[in-house]
Amino acid sequence: WMNVTIASEGGMGIGDEKRQAPPEPHITECISRDQATFQCWWSPGNFHNLSSPGALRLFYINSLASEWKECPKYVHPNRECFFDNNHTSIWIPYCMQLRGQNNVTYYNEEDCFRVENIVRPDPPVSLNWTLLNISPSGLNYDVMVNWEAPPSADVKTGWMRIEYEIQYRAGNTTKWDALEMQRQTQQTIFGLHVGKEYEVHIRCRMRSFVRFGEFSDPIFIQVISSKGSTFPLTLVLVFGITGVLILVMLIVSSQQRRLMMILLPPVPAPKIKGIDPELLKKGKLDDLNFSSTGGGLGGPPTYATDFYQDELWVEFIEVDAEDAGTGEKEDNQGSDTQRLLDVPQPISHHMNIGFSNAVSFPDSDSGRASCYDPDVPDQDTLMATLLPGQPEDGEVKTSPAPERLLIRTQTAGPQTWFNTDFYAQVSNVMPTGGVVLSPGQQLRIQESTSGTEEEPQQGKEHKGSEDSEEEKEKEEQFQLLVVDPEGGRQAAESNTPQMFAPPSSPIPGEGYQTILPQPAETEPAATAEDGQSPYILPDSPQSQVFARVADYTVVQELNSQHSLLLNPPPRQSPPACRPQHPLKALPSMPVGYITPDLLGSLSP
Amino acid sequence: MMHGTIRSVSCVWVVWVCLFFCSSVTMVGAAPICANAQGGCHVLSLANLFDRVIQHSARTHGISNNLHTEFEQYFMPSKNHIGRVSRNCHTSSILTPNGKDNAQRMAREELTEVILKLLVAWRDPLWHFHQSMAHHHDFNNFSSNKALEMSNMVHELHKGVEKVAEKMQVLGIISNTVSSLVSPEALLASDSSEWRPMRDYDLLYCFRRDSNKVQNYLKILKCRIIPEHGC
Repeated sequence: WMNVTIASEGGMGIGDEKRQAPPEPHITECISRDQATFQCWWSPGNFHNLSSPGALRLFYINSLASEWKECPKYVHPNRECFFDNNHTSIWIPYCMQLRGQNNVTYYNEEDCFRVENIVRPDPPVSLNWTLLNISPSGLNYDVMVNWEAPPSADVKTGWMRIEYEIQYRAGNTTKWDALEMQRQTQQTIFGLHVGKEYEVHIRCRMRSFVRFGEFSDPIFIQVISSKGSTFPLTLVLVFGITGVLILVMLIVSSQQRRLMMILLPPVPAPKIKGIDPELLKKGKLDDLNFSSTGGGLGGPPTYATDFYQDELWVEFIEVDAEDAGTGEKEDNQGSDTQRLLDVPQPISHHMNIGFSNAVSFPDSDSGRASCYDPDVPDQDTLMATLLPGQPEDGEVKTSPAPERLLIRTQTAGPQTWFNTDFYAQVSNVMPTGGVVLSPGQQLRIQESTSGTEEEPQQGKEHKGSEDSEEEKEKEEQFQLLVVDPEGGRQAAESNTPQMFAPPSSPIPGEGYQTILPQPAETEPAATAEDGQSPYILPDSPQSQVFARVADYTVVQELNSQHSLLLNPPPRQSPPACRPQHPLKALPSMPVGYITPDLLGSLSP
Repeated sequence: MMHGTIRSVSCVWVVWVCLFFCSSVTMVGAAPICANAQGGCHVLSLANLFDRVIQHSARTHGISNNLHTEFEQYFMPSKNHIGRVSRNCHTSSILTPNGKDNAQRMAREELTEVILKLLVAWRDPLWHFHQSMAHHHDFNNFSSNKALEMSNMVHELHKGVEKVAEKMQVLGIISNTVSSLVSPEALLASDSSEWRPMRDYDLLYCFRRDSNKVQNYLKILKCRIIPEHGC
């Protein structure tokens, strides 16, 4: 306190700046605690010979006095002069002076003040705290701090108007937090942390003055958490919620496909198994991604196939690329058209009539085996392959089989795509049931309504009789469903039964060219036997309607290089009972369209 | 149609709000002191009146303190404190109690009169002070505004204390000897030319003291008459 200055209106230094202790005796400080009395302390400075009590005397003067008066009461041990009530007047300036022996005066002009300006109240007393509440989490709490005005300050009469300042800090920090000046004798401290120890102290000053009194003795506040489960509870909640979220995410990601199906049903698009529809759109047949995987192709189709397993309306055109190796031989054999037209091409083709594995026939006829009977002659197999509505198994039944297939086609929901040709015109249907491709302009759509109608009556049994077969074949109106999976049915239904008259009756249709079966049917048959192309030459006597070879070729299969093979090599293996890939088992299936005569000549 | 409804509703609401606030303001501002609580005038309690004037005086003192400190910073006055000691403020002629005991011993009427005298004595000097500050471009606008505010506050404080005195007289707390007229001493003090040559700094020095006196006296008076609230 020796260096503390008093900021009066000019007394004891200006403001609160610390004044350098002058070497001569000087007044160090004057303080009033209650605005009714005050004390002044002095120091001898460097004049140690004046440090003895009584060597220096303090004189004062004020506007009421006409001369300097001596200190009314000395407290020599403290070098203090105490001015009591009688000698204290407020609102009048006082000036202090030190005098030594021989009337040596040590006077500083700045040691003048008014008493109201040197008031520093005593610290408040009876500081205590009470717990207000604890937060629901049990981590924070609020505290109400109470105190009383210093007894020396006469607040009751209104002589002194005091405001208080609370400061607190956490036990281990050094910086105090100050709250707002408070005029009441209580204050709430918010947001203390459980478990921490807090230190609180308080000081006060006169209202609208600047000098604070001393700080009170600190009190300590601490609240210990009674329940130890708050911490784990929070952790449990956090982890629980996180776990649930992760679980939900996993479920969503694992069932993503199903969710996508539910939320965003796919737009049906041309479904050619193994072929990217995008490439089709671009017309780049060469880039079609054919692969030899399981009758299907790599990439999306497998996905799509699995996806649409239950979708009846989804049809896939399967391109069988199993015999890709053998098919390579055929690549160099002329043009596709040539191949189409040239019957005697020693090709052992196999019918690549695919149908979507995903296509599930609502086959109520349990009599249909999933696989074809191995004994079924190729003829039937051929027919089976020729005709849409192939059963899932690869084997071709006897002649009734086509009928059955036909029936299936009509009765079954899904529509199979005759993948032997993307765009093929059937010009004629042979009495035996063979479909004839033709380059002509007319569409011959075979219909098998009669045949199909007959079939149910016959119970869809194997008809081993040739006659019945021929009859049916003659009368059968093979209905070639050569439309999109969606439109197939409509096409099938829309197409009024157009009886395929004897080959020479052109039927307008979808622009398919048909090829009449040719008299050289035996040739194709023979060739078919040898595995040659069953294409029917257009130059048959009945082909007056047909002028030219069809421009459309049938894509039979894919080779290993993912090229489209129009004349696939003949099958080597006997038709196996494989529901997924029925056509692969077809040995030396003729390509495309064979007359019934050819069928007969075919042998497994 | 929707807009019309909204507009009418908002108009009504605005009018209602205005009425509410206006009534409150009028009640607060021009609250007449009624002899008895009737006739539709809003009767303020004496304690309430006292609180208001004490608050007002505290604020006045605060402003004077600030201005004085500013002057001290910018216009390092001479350290002639002795001279200052001897110099009198123009209100020195008004007898004021200089100590707690003296103030407590003084009668209520006397105390009230002293307060009124002080306030009257400072009305004109402060007004002139503000004028001189406004013309001197040495001071910034902030100080000039403070001076004006100080002048206005003293004026209002005077009116407030007058009302308090009236109320006390009505309630019989003090006798009717307190004259609302300006005392001759105060008139003398304000009319004397003593304050004119007083420099601004000295004026602030004096006013700072006197505003503290007023604040103190009012508080003593209040705690003596109504000790219940806030003493």
